[in-house]
Amino acid sequence: MQVLRETNLQGLALAKKLGKKGTLELLAKRGLVGRGGASFPTHKKWERALSVKTNERFLICNADEGEPGTFKDKFLIKNNSETLIEGILIAAFVLDAKRCFIYLRAEYDSLRLELEKIIKKVLKKSKMKVSIEIVRGAGAYVCGEETAIIQSIMGRRGQPMEKPPYPTIKGLWGKPTVLNNVTTLTCVPQALLYEDWNPNYRLFSISGEVEHPGVYEWELGVKMSTILGTVKPKGKMKAMSFGCFGGIMPVYKSNRVSPALICDKNCHHGAYSLIFVGEKKNIVDVNLSMAKFYTYESCGKCTPCREGTIRLVELLKKIKSGQATNKDLKLLKELANHIQETSLCGLGASCGNHILTGMKNFKKDYKGFIKKK
Amino acid sequence: MEEKILLNILHEAQDKHGYLSEEVLKKISKKHQIPISRLYGIITFHTMFRVKKQGKHILELCGSPSCLLNGAREIERFIEKELNVEIGETTKDKKFSVYKTSCIGCCDGAPAMLIDGKPYVNLTIKRIKEILKELKNASTKRN
Repeated sequence: MQVLRETNLQGLALAKKLGKKGTLELLAKRGLVGRGGASFPTHKKWERALSVKTNERFLICNADEGEPGTFKDKFLIKNNSETLIEGILIAAFVLDAKRCFIYLRAEYDSLRLELEKIIKKVLKKSKMKVSIEIVRGAGAYVCGEETAIIQSIMGRRGQPMEKPPYPTIKGLWGKPTVLNNVTTLTCVPQALLYEDWNPNYRLFSISGEVEHPGVYEWELGVKMSTILGTVKPKGKMKAMSFGCFGGIMPVYKSNRVSPALICDKNCHHGAYSLIFVGEKKNIVDVNLSMAKFYTYESCGKCTPCREGTIRLVELLKKIKSGQATNKDLKLLKELANHIQETSLCGLGASCGNHILTGMKNFKKDYKGFIKKK
Repeated sequence: MEEKILLNILHEAQDKHGYLSEEVLKKISKKHQIPISRLYGIITFHTMFRVKKQGKHILELCGSPSCLLNGAREIERFIEKELNVEIGETTKDKKFSVYKTSCIGCCDGAPAMLIDGKPYVNLTIKRIKEILKELKNASTKRN
């Protein structure tokens, strides 16, 4: 795997040799974009924070990997944490950040002590005067959102804030703050150091009804048949879901997994977490379990998401009970759209996606429950 | 001096005392000059802080789609029956507190759960019987 290549502080040495500007230029040339799901160019994010004149900047490594079906960051923390810490140090060097944070989700607390050791080891070797603190999350999905994570580190409830201002301009304690995902930061030294580094490789977290779930690395545009051939589905597959937020679509063996194809089905690839659903499962059931997840994780700040997610569950339960009519289906669609359009943060803006794509791509499953007049 | 991260302060206290009692929170409030109401606001926002005394072991069953597709419901029902509790409760002998949690990132080992923060994967009824037996025996010996 490209992402497991070790860089032994050579990436940091190169960055120091190139200087801040040279490092940013090389990252741009190599084409590194964020691996958390939004695919924002990494060098641009750093440049934005650098554009603010200030005596202090912060860096946050987002290890609050809460999207169901996603476990690539855990895989990297376990298998290539030295390169991750080097990536943090390169970012700290470019940004002049003296205090860096790794926001580690509570569910990964068993990795914390080992990670602390690696931080000490790499910091000592690098001789840089930077602090890297682990912030222990406490079980809140919404804290993966960039403004929520900032609130959380500052000792407030992890509720998202309105943007702009973006964290790169005004973040932790009002100072410019860069947030990068674990995978992005691990890629930084690799992208700088290796000329043959391929920007199109992505980590895929594969789970669900397959024989060999796990983390795999493929190039964007990988054939579905390659994925299926590797992970070995347990029987015929009906659907694949991109985590909870990215929507759900049928599995076409002949297709390639690329952003264009996925968007064509109204889905979003996010961090390439593919949950495979077998043909015996009903999509209404899958959607109901996901809808429950959102009621549980909604932070409660804005009304459409707080109340709407509960109503979505109620409607799905009604459909499942066989008591719903076509009018309820229409209401479900309308409500899901409404929540997405009017919520404050990404959680609300995507919480109905699995239902909308489920209704569109698996009409039969929904219609099967509808009361005949 | 750099400001200490509140989440870490709360975690350290919970690690030490098992849960965040009013007494513990009053001390934190005084030491760090944070109103106790704000502490409660933060604690109740997160699912992994506890304000009540917990069982000796905390079981957190993953309820993510990957786990559900691989039989997490059967595991959940079995644990509820075996320990005679419902999700969110503590057993009468105070040995186990059982919770359901969002994805714990162990989808490649579904169904999975955390016991005292440590992941247990590829769960089957047989495996759970063994795990519960081991935990019960271990805590009897220590007592």
